[in-house]
Amino acid sequence: MKKGFALVLICLLLLTACSSNSGSKNTGSGADAGKTENTAASEPAQAKEITIWAWDPAFNIAALEVAKAEYAKTNPDVNINIVEYAQADIIQKLNTGLNSGTTKGLPNIVLIEDYRSQSFLQSYKDSFYDLSSSIKGADFADYKSGPTSLDGKQYGVPFDSGVTGLYVRTDYLEQAGYKLADLQDIDWKQYIEIGKAVKEKTGKALITLDPNDLGLIRVMIQSAGEWYLKEDGKTPNLAGNAPLKEAFEIYKELTESNVAKVHADWSQFVAALNSGDVASVPTGNWITPSITAEASQSGKWGIAPLPKLTANESVHASNLGGSSWYVMNVDGKETAADFMAKTFGSNVEMYQKLLTDIGVIGTFKAAAGGEAYSQGNEFFSGQKVVADFAAWTEQIPSVNYGINTYAIEDILIVEMQNYLNGKDIDSVLNDAQAQAESQIK
Amino acid sequence: MQHTHSKLKLRTKSVLTGWSFVLLAVILIFVFYFYPMLQALILSFQTGTGGNLTFTGFDNYSRLLSDQTFLVSVKNTFIYLLVQVPLMIILALFISVLLNDSKLRFKGFYRTAIFLPCVTSLVAYSVVFKYLFAGNGLVNTLLLKLHLVSAPIEWITDPFWAKITIIIAITWRWTGYNMIFYLSALQNIDHSIYEAARIDGASASRQFFGITVPLLKPIILFTSITSTIGTLQLFDEVMNITKGGPGNATQTISQYIYNLSFKYSADFGYAATVSYSIVIMIALLSVIQFKVAGDKNG
Repeated sequence: MKKGFALVLICLLLLTACSSNSGSKNTGSGADAGKTENTAASEPAQAKEITIWAWDPAFNIAALEVAKAEYAKTNPDVNINIVEYAQADIIQKLNTGLNSGTTKGLPNIVLIEDYRSQSFLQSYKDSFYDLSSSIKGADFADYKSGPTSLDGKQYGVPFDSGVTGLYVRTDYLEQAGYKLADLQDIDWKQYIEIGKAVKEKTGKALITLDPNDLGLIRVMIQSAGEWYLKEDGKTPNLAGNAPLKEAFEIYKELTESNVAKVHADWSQFVAALNSGDVASVPTGNWITPSITAEASQSGKWGIAPLPKLTANESVHASNLGGSSWYVMNVDGKETAADFMAKTFGSNVEMYQKLLTDIGVIGTFKAAAGGEAYSQGNEFFSGQKVVADFAAWTEQIPSVNYGINTYAIEDILIVEMQNYLNGKDIDSVLNDAQAQAESQIK
Repeated sequence: MQHTHSKLKLRTKSVLTGWSFVLLAVILIFVFYFYPMLQALILSFQTGTGGNLTFTGFDNYSRLLSDQTFLVSVKNTFIYLLVQVPLMIILALFISVLLNDSKLRFKGFYRTAIFLPCVTSLVAYSVVFKYLFAGNGLVNTLLLKLHLVSAPIEWITDPFWAKITIIIAITWRWTGYNMIFYLSALQNIDHSIYEAARIDGASASRQFFGITVPLLKPIILFTSITSTIGTLQLFDEVMNITKGGPGNATQTISQYIYNLSFKYSADFGYAATVSYSIVIMIALLSVIQFKVAGDKNG
């Protein structure tokens, strides 16, 4: 009897297992069926509602609102639903949603950071909609094509440029005997020297660093056209990577020459800038809204080109954490693609508005010729910062981020601590290489 | 022959009746507990990013042993376990005995105050701790004002102090929780036992070690097992206070699972393997604790 019941229970278990599988399949085909019906009913493939996920209300969400208003001019009957989540939440929801096999609950358009996009595109190949017929990858900054395309197909609409600059407090510089012009063509070593002078004269730190975030290292190596991975996007490229080695050495020099302050998270980072505790910040242009938020410092900031590496061929331009839009391969994808094509994919006028209203520097090449791009910014003493950024954007070397940026960075963060504690640089990079090779499969 | 047959039938009937009572619960447990566990086990034999999973046998399990990040996470978790759990249990025991004193006034206030941390949200209190222990946070300001330190302590960005911060945080959050168990157990101990001990001239500490601790032994076992399980699954505090850093100095196994699933390129197979390593550790530790502290029939 006991055996009989065990059998019944096992059958039940199997049944539930099977039914849950077929259930998810059903949902998929059900959605498809719904779509074809829809298409048949209303002549153009037009969904009535699309949903978009993005993070950062001051930047990405604000940009979406502009695009939404723009699209409503020609397509008033499409309801665009913008949902704000933290970036980490979007990654979780997307991963769990895509992995569960059901497309229910997924948005039509999602914002993904460039460092992560290939991991999604490659892991869930059929889940993203090919936009090759809606937009042209060549219309956007060249370094964006790597992250946003796969197998020759364009999946992402390149959005904000993570183009970097060196934001500096010109008033502190002057006290130390320097002008913004002195920072035009410097390398990181000279930057540290200036920092020492600033520290001596003003008592202010040159830079603030987060030991858990190697963004600065990423910026430095990309400026030399290198990455954590080789060009194939798979082979770890740590041992013997000369720009990476130099970047590590500069990082150590920054911490040891007593010009760096430490912060632990984003809010402390922004607080350090706004309170006047640090004299400079080399970072992506997306920091502009956070810096200008402190109105009392208007006229005290300027933006210089990024310092470069000395021993390696690097340029005064790099990228830090830009992101792009992706259309999901779910019901309503045609409408979503149409929305993207008519706004972020082609609308030069809209990019001017994004720039003046929000400060978004897009990567759409044609937009850079617009009027808003050549205007001076009062906060930065009338400096034409956007024109500068646009010019630097064109110089950013293109690298293949691959799918393991953050996995490798976590290995490097630990090795960086070892390095700062006195471990030899070559064994630091060799050990990181060995660990990366064993972990990335 | 006839007799045995009817007996068999009767037994069958009673078994059936019994099962019909528990059937619903059994089905639900199978569907919502055992099925996901089985799926996770199957997943732990697969590798690949996101949806591209392939069976690779025991690859993930052998990878565990050579994975430095995993080993560091295990080490960190056990440091928390060995330092924090005994500390918290002794503290909870001590406080509960103090609060059980019949002569103590404002008992309700103290009990509430010490239990209150347990009802706060894990994320909310972690964020508050992060700000209290920030470089220019309240704790450092106080220490500096009192001249206990000459320079601010790097609570969050120094590997050693970050661990201490986490330990302080979880002790604050969970001591009151364990205290409640001890308090309720203490109230079941007959006062006359203590009276008899006092008449015999036993000191307070003698009463504590001779009466209170032995009588609370089952509860101590219970709290230490639940605390062990809780610590092995520690996630929220580390995620919110230090994000596992600096480097991976405070990273726990649960956070590593999160990183493998969501921070890196979605390696759910390997993440499931790491999850199963926690299951195995908890099972082993619980058995050891039962053997060391449990009664023979416990």
